[in-house]
Amino acid sequence: MELLPQALVDGILLGGIYITIAIAFSLTYGVMHVIDFAVGEWIMFGAFTGFYLNKWTGLDPFIFLPVIFVMYFVIGYLVQPIIHRVLSGTKGNPFLMGLVFTFGLAIMFRGLALTVFGYYSNSIPSMFSEGSFNFDNYGISITIPYVRLVGLVYALSITAILHYMLKKTNFGLGVRALAQHKDAAGLMGVNSKRTGSYVYGIYVGISAMTGVLLGCILSIGAQMGNEYTIFAFFVVVLAGMGYLAGVPWAALLLGMVQSIFMIYFNPSHTLLAVFVILYIILLVSPRGLFGKGV
Amino acid sequence: MKNFTARQGVLAFVVLALVFLPLLSSDTFVLRVVTEAVMWVGLAIAFDVIAGYTGYLNFGHGAFFGLGAYTVGILMMKAELPFAVALPAGGAVAALAALIAGFPTLRLKGAYFAIATWALSRAIQQLALNMDITGGPDGMRLDAFLNPQFFYYLMLGAVGGTFLVLWYLLERAPFGLKLKAIREDEEGAKALGLNPTMLKMQSFILSAIPTGILGGIYAYWITFIDPSSTLGDLVSDQAVVMVVFGGMGTLFGPAIGALLIFAFKTVFWAYLSKFQLLYLIILGALIAVSVVFMPNGLWGTMLKRRNTVRREPEAP
Repeated sequence: MELLPQALVDGILLGGIYITIAIAFSLTYGVMHVIDFAVGEWIMFGAFTGFYLNKWTGLDPFIFLPVIFVMYFVIGYLVQPIIHRVLSGTKGNPFLMGLVFTFGLAIMFRGLALTVFGYYSNSIPSMFSEGSFNFDNYGISITIPYVRLVGLVYALSITAILHYMLKKTNFGLGVRALAQHKDAAGLMGVNSKRTGSYVYGIYVGISAMTGVLLGCILSIGAQMGNEYTIFAFFVVVLAGMGYLAGVPWAALLLGMVQSIFMIYFNPSHTLLAVFVILYIILLVSPRGLFGKGV
Repeated sequence: MKNFTARQGVLAFVVLALVFLPLLSSDTFVLRVVTEAVMWVGLAIAFDVIAGYTGYLNFGHGAFFGLGAYTVGILMMKAELPFAVALPAGGAVAALAALIAGFPTLRLKGAYFAIATWALSRAIQQLALNMDITGGPDGMRLDAFLNPQFFYYLMLGAVGGTFLVLWYLLERAPFGLKLKAIREDEEGAKALGLNPTMLKMQSFILSAIPTGILGGIYAYWITFIDPSSTLGDLVSDQAVVMVVFGGMGTLFGPAIGALLIFAFKTVFWAYLSKFQLLYLIILGALIAVSVVFMPNGLWGTMLKRRNTVRREPEAP
């Protein structure tokens, strides 16, 4: 039982990072109405970019976060028009085709990563990797590595920025309008094509940045994408698809589940536990924990 | 009418060639390749029942294949049951898995179903990796039954039977029309008095049973199964590519897609085995490219072209 506080704290710190992925992921779903199966692969690419930038320059990976964001924002901005074209096609079933398209992207990216990076697993060194914050009072002992604290700060700031963007800017208003009703938003002068590109770019950028953090805290590998894709799905389904306010709670829950399984059970059963929870939620309340999804 | 008989002629020729192939060629390599090609045709058309006809994407098709394979493996090796008993059990387990996975998700939008089936296949792979009865990552070995002709005819029979049943149900019986109605407009189908959830469930199970049975035959034929070969992403990914490339919503499209992709895979792995990982990139790129430029697939595009050539263009 003495490990429980540690597990909970770890869970909160990890879940905080998942919030950033899941909010961006949920946002793109709201705007495009298509799930991006390549979410884990964007995270993986970001992590590897951080890894190699660190290796080549010897500078701390956290310095590169803005660079990586800009890089992947541009990539996402350039990829989205293709998805938009698929979605606005008249042949076949556009939504089905959109899903298939992102699924194809995910396969392609995984193959690319395996070809270039191989099967090795690595971790990104950072100046925060060493050292930790220790709390040992009242019979409770908790160790928090600095890198996880940095992760929490990062997650909070990204979430705050996204919140500000969505609620206080005209662009955010357009994004929310698009999520509610695409045609009506278009009639009100929201350019769905351009807004979609920006949102997709922001989402890819945030996913890539978060990948660097996850690479510092956990590990990186060409096949890490699968796991994070499942996590992103889990959070979004748990929160209710398209319901942003539920995302933080679902992400924290996921972090808890993962850290509890890491400490008390076999870590390789985490995915199974995640799936069982997902199944029960879909069975009992398919519109998410709060019943507010679409 | 002339066109119709020509097509019948081609079909009859293909069937005859397939039936007499073991007599024509004694090369076991040829037989082996053709057996696997036939298996992929079966997997692709089974996938198309739920994806193409019903409009619900199952990204975990490989899970049913692997479940069938493992069921046969476990029943034959651990329970020492004969193959004839284990094979139907493989189909039944796949159907049961479809029932369990489909029950909560088929009531919802297609996105949920795609996620859930994909996650299910990952979860089942994890389960197979962590359990003792499956042999974990080392996989399991079955007693070898070295008779290529037997497996060839078994596979051909299973796939041929699947094709006929699906062709009747989807192209001749009202069932296929009902599924297409759901695909085109679920609310409209409801208004016509159909029960979409029930029909989607039936379609999903109809897609899972042949997949499980093919998995079972594969296990006994190859005699070695492990989580990465039968439950890995490659089975699901390839099924998706074959159907999307060949043409969703038809039976001939996926069959043609399966043959082309499988031929490509065989050649690729024979000559470029060093670049196996490149194959994944090509699969992914092929999906993306066919979605963007050929949303109806190869067969759908061909049909459309033929129809537009023959018919007068409609007034706008």
